[in-house]
Amino acid sequence: MRALTRLDRKWWGLVFVMPVVLFFATFSVFPVLFGVAISLTDYNLLDPPEWVGLQNYENLLNDRLFLTALKNTLVFVLGATAPVWVLSLLAALLFDQAFRGRQVLKTLFFLPVLPPVVVVGVVWRMLLHPNGIMTFFAGGLRGITEIPWLADTVLAPIVMIVVHDWAVVPFFMLIWLAGLAGIPQELREAAHIDGATAWQTFWRVELPQLRATAVLVAALSSINAFQTFTLQYVITSDPGGPANSTLVLGLLVLKYGFQYFRMGDAAAVSVVMFAMILAVTAIQLGFNRRVG
Amino acid sequence: MNFRHASCAFLAATAMLAGAGGASAQQVTLKVWMHEHPPRIAIDKAIVAEFEKANPNIKIQYDVIGASEYATKLLTAFASGSGPDIFNQASTLVAQYHASKIPAAIDYAALGYADEKELLAVYSSGWDGIRFAGKLHGVPTEVSNYACYANKTLWKEAGLDPAKDFPKTWEEFVGVAEKLTQRDANGVPRRRGFDFNWPSPPAYWNAVVTLTQQLGASVVDEEKYKASYDTPAGQKAMQYLVDWVNKHKLGGPQYTDTRTDFLGGKLATDCSFGIWGIPQMVAAKIDYSVHPSPRFANKVSDNGYPAYAYYMMVNSRSPAAVQKAGWAYVRYYTDQAERLFAGAGLFVPRKEVIAKTGDANSQVFLKELQTAKFAPRMVGYGQVMDVLVRGRDRMMQGGEPVAKVMPELNKEIDAVLTRERARAEAMFK
Repeated sequence: MRALTRLDRKWWGLVFVMPVVLFFATFSVFPVLFGVAISLTDYNLLDPPEWVGLQNYENLLNDRLFLTALKNTLVFVLGATAPVWVLSLLAALLFDQAFRGRQVLKTLFFLPVLPPVVVVGVVWRMLLHPNGIMTFFAGGLRGITEIPWLADTVLAPIVMIVVHDWAVVPFFMLIWLAGLAGIPQELREAAHIDGATAWQTFWRVELPQLRATAVLVAALSSINAFQTFTLQYVITSDPGGPANSTLVLGLLVLKYGFQYFRMGDAAAVSVVMFAMILAVTAIQLGFNRRVG
Repeated sequence: MNFRHASCAFLAATAMLAGAGGASAQQVTLKVWMHEHPPRIAIDKAIVAEFEKANPNIKIQYDVIGASEYATKLLTAFASGSGPDIFNQASTLVAQYHASKIPAAIDYAALGYADEKELLAVYSSGWDGIRFAGKLHGVPTEVSNYACYANKTLWKEAGLDPAKDFPKTWEEFVGVAEKLTQRDANGVPRRRGFDFNWPSPPAYWNAVVTLTQQLGASVVDEEKYKASYDTPAGQKAMQYLVDWVNKHKLGGPQYTDTRTDFLGGKLATDCSFGIWGIPQMVAAKIDYSVHPSPRFANKVSDNGYPAYAYYMMVNSRSPAAVQKAGWAYVRYYTDQAERLFAGAGLFVPRKEVIAKTGDANSQVFLKELQTAKFAPRMVGYGQVMDVLVRGRDRMMQGGEPVAKVMPELNKEIDAVLTRERARAEAMFK
């Protein structure tokens, strides 16, 4: 009788979690598996998919567009992670201090996070008009009246990184601030009593305490950077241009899927992106565990 | 109410519903999708209402979809099996639908014509974009081509009169555009005299096709389904475009879309509007005149911008009764050509519409249409256009020489065509 009750309780538990499990399976697990299945086919949306096995993945190895997008994505990830970690940490350290007008300044600094990325992109697109306001600030003193911010194959990818970092640094600053708030005040006081300088306190007391926060910032910013799509799509007049200099993997998925109607290739690129993000996150978490 | 009463009421209601179902068995609902062209929507709705009144057994479910997302939504709808029974699409994009056997060949009896000959007698042109393997698969709702609009006020400011000074050749156009261009102290154009519509890929495609055709070449050989872009004629056409940007500095892909600038009075000349642009000029209060596209001095072919069309098609995957009703609607809709031209500027070469184009500006479009050729049709149109845009950026913004880039582009286009060739063969067989 007792065993039966225990069993009942187990079943009830399953019943209670089932809605969430079903929801997760339908909207998260199934699309991933479906994507993997599509990546093994040649599918143009209009005709039934044809099984091609690993052919799409094999083709990616010699696909110039994919290799360009991969290179651009890695460059973007580099520019959208390390500088973001440093800048957001510096901002957090600044706003962790007590000074007049701190709350107002912090709010102003946080503003870029509030509008959707699409709005950020549209505003920056206007600011970056070749004869626009950014040209006035950057070239006005030197008499330059036109800068092709988005039409130059070297400038355009840099612009993407700068706009991205401008938009996300305040968000990561908040995470660092939360981490800093979690450090016991006694540790800082003890360091101070022991004669540690501000730098020593930060380097030897605060930073080690921020390890979990650092892993979170690193993981979130890497995932966010690998998945970049909206900025490049909205800011450049020909998404991924000029001459594919801002073509990232996210845009390539769109291009293959809905411009070229090659769903199998689009799904294969998505799976590669998924694997890359998984690997980078696993490495970061593994590193955290090893150091811990 | 006891159980017995409730059961009786339920049975009575079921019988009534069944009866109603029986009565509506003849009823056909047509799902009609059209791309967004704001001036056309009110006319469409009026046509739908009139058609439903005249055909009480046919109900129209009419949807307008934003032009920029139309192609994607149409494809995904067909992919999920929920595609419309009737849809319109541009001639540049119909090849991929035909390759997947979506547009039905015209059912002349249902369309209300004895045969193809009788149908062709109504229209003087516009069928080259929808003829596959010898059969027509849709009826044009718009046949168009670009010509050049001049803002007479801005030309006058530059001391020019478009009636006398509009260039006949592309070579002359460089000098005229320079006179019309206002520059700042650094030589940067503050107001362009003329520029190609670089930011719009279809408009850029049209410019490349026009220049290449005039010199006797073609970007793609539709019959052989091979790239034919990298020829001396193709290189000359491309060099002209590159020089326009990099040598003469008369404009470039970095500037705003030319249609926007022209309607805003910031561009003196634009060659990316069709006859449908006339109502927009009137609305923008621009004092304009229309002129034929320039030709190369040593032209091989006397053509202006290519012709393109929008066709109304019937989904071959819809049930037979729906397809039949669909063709009846296509006939009713396309017979309203006069209204569609008057209210939405959509031209089709039918007698009654041509009769309404007596003004000199409209006549320019009609005359140009006589020599206009349809751009080559391909299953991989989106990919080929992307290759061209990428090449444009490499040459104009990356500064790479035409002679180096063109062979590579030709190879890339060939790769696209080879990949899609098997599907495309249905176009000709």
